[in-house]
Amino acid sequence: MNHKCLIMKNRYLVGGPITPLLISELMTLGNDDSGAGAVSIFIGKVRADEIEGRRVSAIEYSAYEDMAGREADDIVKTVRNAFSDVRSVLIVHSMGVVKAGEASLFIMVTSGRRDQASRACRHTLEMVKEKLPVWKKELF
Amino acid sequence: MGTEVMVLFFGKAEVAAGRREETFTAEDTAALRRQLLDKYPAMAGIPFRMALNKTILKEESALNKNDIIAILPPFQGG
Repeated sequence: MNHKCLIMKNRYLVGGPITPLLISELMTLGNDDSGAGAVSIFIGKVRADEIEGRRVSAIEYSAYEDMAGREADDIVKTVRNAFSDVRSVLIVHSMGVVKAGEASLFIMVTSGRRDQASRACRHTLEMVKEKLPVWKKELF
Repeated sequence: MGTEVMVLFFGKAEVAAGRREETFTAEDTAALRRQLLDKYPAMAGIPFRMALNKTILKEESALNKNDIIAILPPFQGG
């Protein structure tokens, strides 16, 4: 956890890519909840899209950090209210430069049983897309 | 008479304004919007919303001293 705490800009934003090491640390959160029988995870990665003949090599993310924390809190609250079996919702988004192929978004939802974990994870993802004040700039 | 507010620019609005923040004097968001478009015509091509003190506005609003207005182009997270 020390590694993660050093680089988290707030509870939801992390500087740079979401590395396999960070993902493995995030996945241990909630291990003490023995009532959670299902864990659903979404990982968003940077695509090497071609835009006007140029290949994207990385994306630089920026955020309205003061607002992002509050919006993410609201998303977590909304998802927990909408899915009664959900026990935890975790959202982590990258800031700064993330290279093509690296992860920029991590969502993890735990629930008692499998059905709500996967549906709530998808719902969280759609809310992040709609409500989290994050912007990107393609780098070539 | 207007009141002094801080305006924060994000995403493409930051590119259009060429800066991250700037102080404006306006009595409401409609007047502020006009000033922004006059000063930075490139912003006319950006479908931005405004947040007043971190809450997205659904309609124009009066402004008070030390308010913070954020210019929010469409979000692109994920």
